[in-house]
Amino acid sequence: MASQLSFTGFAWKNLRRRRLRTLLTLCGITMGIGAFVALVGFSRSFEHEWLRLYQSSGTDIAVLQSSLFNSSLDESLGARIRALPQVAAVAPLVFNLIDLTPDVNALVYGWPADSYELDSLRFTSGTRFRAGQPEVVLGDLLAQNLNKKPGDTITILGETFTVTGIFHGGTALETGAVIMPLDQMQIISSREGQVTAFHVRLRPTPAGESYDHYVKRVQTEIEALEPGVRAEAAAERAGNNQIVDLAHSVAWGTSSIALLIGIVGIANTMAMSVFERTREIGILRALGWKGRHVILLILTEAAGLGFAGGLLGIVVGWGALRILSIMPQTASVVSTSVSPVHLFESLLIAIGSGLVAGAYPAWRGARLSPVEALRYE
Amino acid sequence: MSSPILEGRALVKSYDEGRVAALRGVDITIEAGEYVTISGPSGSGKSTLLHMLGGLDVPNSGEVLFRGSLLGKTVDLDTFRSCQVGFIFQAFHLLPTLRAVENVQVAMLAMNSRANHRLERATALLEEMGLKDRLKHFPNELSAGERQRVAIARALANDPTILLADEPTGNLDSVNSANIMEILRGIREQRGMTLVIVTHENEIAASAPRHIRIRDGRIEA
Repeated sequence: MASQLSFTGFAWKNLRRRRLRTLLTLCGITMGIGAFVALVGFSRSFEHEWLRLYQSSGTDIAVLQSSLFNSSLDESLGARIRALPQVAAVAPLVFNLIDLTPDVNALVYGWPADSYELDSLRFTSGTRFRAGQPEVVLGDLLAQNLNKKPGDTITILGETFTVTGIFHGGTALETGAVIMPLDQMQIISSREGQVTAFHVRLRPTPAGESYDHYVKRVQTEIEALEPGVRAEAAAERAGNNQIVDLAHSVAWGTSSIALLIGIVGIANTMAMSVFERTREIGILRALGWKGRHVILLILTEAAGLGFAGGLLGIVVGWGALRILSIMPQTASVVSTSVSPVHLFESLLIAIGSGLVAGAYPAWRGARLSPVEALRYE
Repeated sequence: MSSPILEGRALVKSYDEGRVAALRGVDITIEAGEYVTISGPSGSGKSTLLHMLGGLDVPNSGEVLFRGSLLGKTVDLDTFRSCQVGFIFQAFHLLPTLRAVENVQVAMLAMNSRANHRLERATALLEEMGLKDRLKHFPNELSAGERQRVAIARALANDPTILLADEPTGNLDSVNSANIMEILRGIREQRGMTLVIVTHENEIAASAPRHIRIRDGRIEA
């Protein structure tokens, strides 16, 4: 059977004509989409991990000062929160991102030895730490990266701690983390009597009241305890903290630049392609192709480049996330999970980038006079 | 009395900001089913006139009518070219990346016809042109005569009523020239099409029942 020609088949043949140029253009858009998948995926997974962190421990409300980086609350506030009738448990905590070795940094938490949050951790070896003792437990990923096991010691901010247990946490923020007694964390970070935040677990929602309304009501009561204190629902807190905001901003900013480079690449390729095919476009017009058919052909080629670059970019971006998730420097905050919505969004952005890049060359191609184009040498 | 299929009235066309006059007020009438040749020296304006009649170019002044309707006003130029006119060029103008059968189909891509229909029609036309064994060949794998036959098949793809050929034998040897002219005349007779050929070859010019001579942008006879 002879060859059947479709519109997309024709576009494909045009793209294959200059294979090296098409390949290089694909590399550009692949890098742009790869950066988008990796960076935005990273920032979103970071937010997601925060949410899971709250969910896995059963935290309903996070109480803190105005901002996460310098939030500092008096530890005594915990007793007043606990006194509220709706509150089942309060877990004060101090945390910070600390360099453990020149290559490895990790989230270090200070929790009370009896914190309800410890119940959500599954210990794979050893035991919990004891209050008042220079002891720590390590997430399994961090323990693996540092090659530590129960009984070993670890130096944090110049102090030596004994590893008492290795746990498997439900999130990347836990599996790459260090947890030590709250009092020890307060000492090494010179924050005696102060905490970063309180995590609050509520009693069951009263019958006839929605969970959201219940949480809102308790938030108001907590905030009334002391001026300058902010109580946030855990789900909101996950998406509304400065670290996550910063990660989102950096991710979108960086990937936008990478995408812009990809778009310029496609635009250049399509402009060159239209220029080279001036006479062919004249032939098509002579055959009765309307301007909109020429536009459709060029946009199909540009969108095809975007689509192919998008698919490759997804593979590259996901690969980059996988590498980040196992690198000691970043393992504590990166998970490999990328939502299908994010992948679909990436593909749409890739195709959209192709269409944007192809718009001007397509418009130019459609405006060519058939007879002038036929004369073109 | 029915309108002529094509009519040019006082056609004027100049290039290079008016410094080069290609047509200086040409009046021409072509009846449906007529076979007309247009000849003249290089630069006389014969190709320009053909482009005007086929809706490829527009005059600076004057008008072209298709069955009494004004081209570019009442009749859309793109629709006219795709549905009513088939063009054949001296340089064949086949697309180098497409096979022979695809080159014929490309003319039908803008017509919203089914893919199967496009392939069947392209295959049938190429077989009619004696190119059954050349369907999958690329233009650079075909002889000049074969390329022009592919171009003729492409011109017929959308079943036009008018066939306009601009020096169709200009790049061919005498054997292939004779062959192509025989094909064109045969098509006209079988399909009752209007055939207008621009040529500088006296023999071809004289072969038509009506021969128009053009010189310096004006019709002589």
